[in-house]
Amino acid sequence: MNKLLAFSAIALALTVTTACTNKSVVRYGDATAVETTDINFGSTDLQKVASQMTDSLLVSPVVGTLTANTRPVIFVESLKNKTSEHIDTESITDSISTKLLRSGKFRFVDMGRVAAAREQIQFQQAGGMVDTNKAVQFGQQVGAQYMLYGNLASIVKSNKDKSDVYYKFTLRLMDLQSGLVEWADETEIRKTKEKEFVSW
Amino acid sequence: MIYKLRLPLTILCFSLLFSGCSSSQLTDLFSSYYQQVRDAKHAQQQGNFNQALKLLPEKSEFDASYNLYLLEQGRLHYLVNQYQKSENAFEHAYQLVQEENNKAKIQLSKGVENAKAIMSNDNATRYDVPAYEQSMLHSYQSLNYLYQQNLSAALVEVRRANLVQESALNDNKNVLYQYQQQLLQQGVSEQNWTNNLPSMDNTIGEIKNGFQNAFTFYLSALLYEAAGQSNDAYIDYKKALEIAPENQFIQHDVWRLANQLNMLNDITLMKERFSIESLTEANYTSAETGQVVLIFEQGIVKSKSEYSLNLPIYTSHNDMRFYSVAIPSYANYLTEYSPARVSFQEESFYAQDLVRLQSLAAKQLKEDMPMIVSRQIARLITKEEIRQQLSRKNGDIGNILASLYNIATEHADTRSWSTLPDSISICQFSLPKGQQTLTVNINGIVKEISVLVNENRKTLITMSAIGQNTDYQSINL
Repeated sequence: MNKLLAFSAIALALTVTTACTNKSVVRYGDATAVETTDINFGSTDLQKVASQMTDSLLVSPVVGTLTANTRPVIFVESLKNKTSEHIDTESITDSISTKLLRSGKFRFVDMGRVAAAREQIQFQQAGGMVDTNKAVQFGQQVGAQYMLYGNLASIVKSNKDKSDVYYKFTLRLMDLQSGLVEWADETEIRKTKEKEFVSW
Repeated sequence: MIYKLRLPLTILCFSLLFSGCSSSQLTDLFSSYYQQVRDAKHAQQQGNFNQALKLLPEKSEFDASYNLYLLEQGRLHYLVNQYQKSENAFEHAYQLVQEENNKAKIQLSKGVENAKAIMSNDNATRYDVPAYEQSMLHSYQSLNYLYQQNLSAALVEVRRANLVQESALNDNKNVLYQYQQQLLQQGVSEQNWTNNLPSMDNTIGEIKNGFQNAFTFYLSALLYEAAGQSNDAYIDYKKALEIAPENQFIQHDVWRLANQLNMLNDITLMKERFSIESLTEANYTSAETGQVVLIFEQGIVKSKSEYSLNLPIYTSHNDMRFYSVAIPSYANYLTEYSPARVSFQEESFYAQDLVRLQSLAAKQLKEDMPMIVSRQIARLITKEEIRQQLSRKNGDIGNILASLYNIATEHADTRSWSTLPDSISICQFSLPKGQQTLTVNINGIVKEISVLVNENRKTLITMSAIGQNTDYQSINL
């Protein structure tokens, strides 16, 4: 009987304590902190890929000569996602182009906003609201000289004990006039996850 | 003192077993899945997909078969062309499968489930989505993305489907062996129970395993080709051909790409294997034509049914007694479908089989059988033990109660993705570019399809024929 009492007391205590501590908490964290919630492509991978690529591009001697006296105009072709995950590749190219723009060595044209830009110029030209002398003219935009494009590929393996994923990110810069690839680099990421032995 | 406590203790045990059970979990214990989905399947057979969605047995997130519910939902949403909803359901189901794959080797919660299952039946354990269902999940998800004009996401799903089939190939042998050993330890030799099993050989037919799905490979090849990755497409066409070697459309595809990619070895092999006339007579895409690919889904897979199996078991006193256990089974015949006929002007083409999902399901069940039987035996022994204890301590009332409980809970695990199509077949040919009208004759129903054919491109038409209902969707790849 005493045992039973002790047992119920412990059970009661457990119930009470879990009820008290079991609260959800919201906190701010470091946006660049290493994130290892799961094995899938995450923010750390994105940041790593973007920063390594831009660093490599900016210090490359070829790009040094390209940008010696001018700021070449680049357009970013979409990244090809060849992995088995739904990854927002536009977000990777956004990070890369933003970093490159910030360096002050390149200029960009944004192909994703051509339709919106055309609509705006059309409005200025034919909308009747804007002074036609001051309106932005068609056919005055600057064309890109270089194209930035790339691939994100992955190899995924898993068995009972662990899973392993390998990402390879390749980025290239092509001279649109000559068709020559002026610069290329790749970044690799390997992540492994060992399964826990016991869990609830 | 102890004796007096016995009955209350048993009641406490059972109340623990049912505690935390929602009403749907109780339904799972006392009725089989095939009974629960009967109405929904009936509505689906009539072509009332929206009604079928409402009739699906409602499951909550805490249910053992919530993932199965999501699969059924995703498929029915796909049938009514609600791609976004279907995508959400499938994505959720995929996450659950992933979670399951990533879990620890020893899971305490699984132990509790198993304990529950031992007291009741296998429906209390989490539904383990078999590989062929996973590959269909990704195939439909891929079509969902495709019809939402997102080819790159569709390709991601196709790669996931390939990963599933690869890992299924690796895992397959180990698991099979392990359960056969366990059965031997329980004193049941293989001849003992395999002879008593209902045969499913007619349904299974010639297929070698329950997870390699030609449809998935064909779809992925098609999408790779649309994305300009001929080499990847070639590999998957070849895999599809390996599973469905009789299919002439795939033979043509492999032949076409082998020549295009200059695969000299394979060209020689193919010349030996297939008649060269049939390979070269195919009208290749030329400047003025485009290709039309039609994928036909016919019928609905049958649900598993219950079969009672008499097993000789040695009791603790070492005397042999026959016990009856409920095991799941599929009917031992395949529904015959006449191949769909597609006519364009004077020409007619007949669809050719790609995959029979019913056969995959039956093969999968057959492979799982050692595991199912071994679990049933463990359960039988436990339940018999409880009955004996109760009858010894509480006389006839205990005996009757225990027997009633045992009978009420003796159900086979008949869960499986029951809204999938039964048969998938394909047909493809070249058409002059521009807007064209095809006539499709399927299950005795004639349907006119108007499609835009682009020069040197493929146009995909998926058509599902269930009962009197024929719906189609088309997209230019």
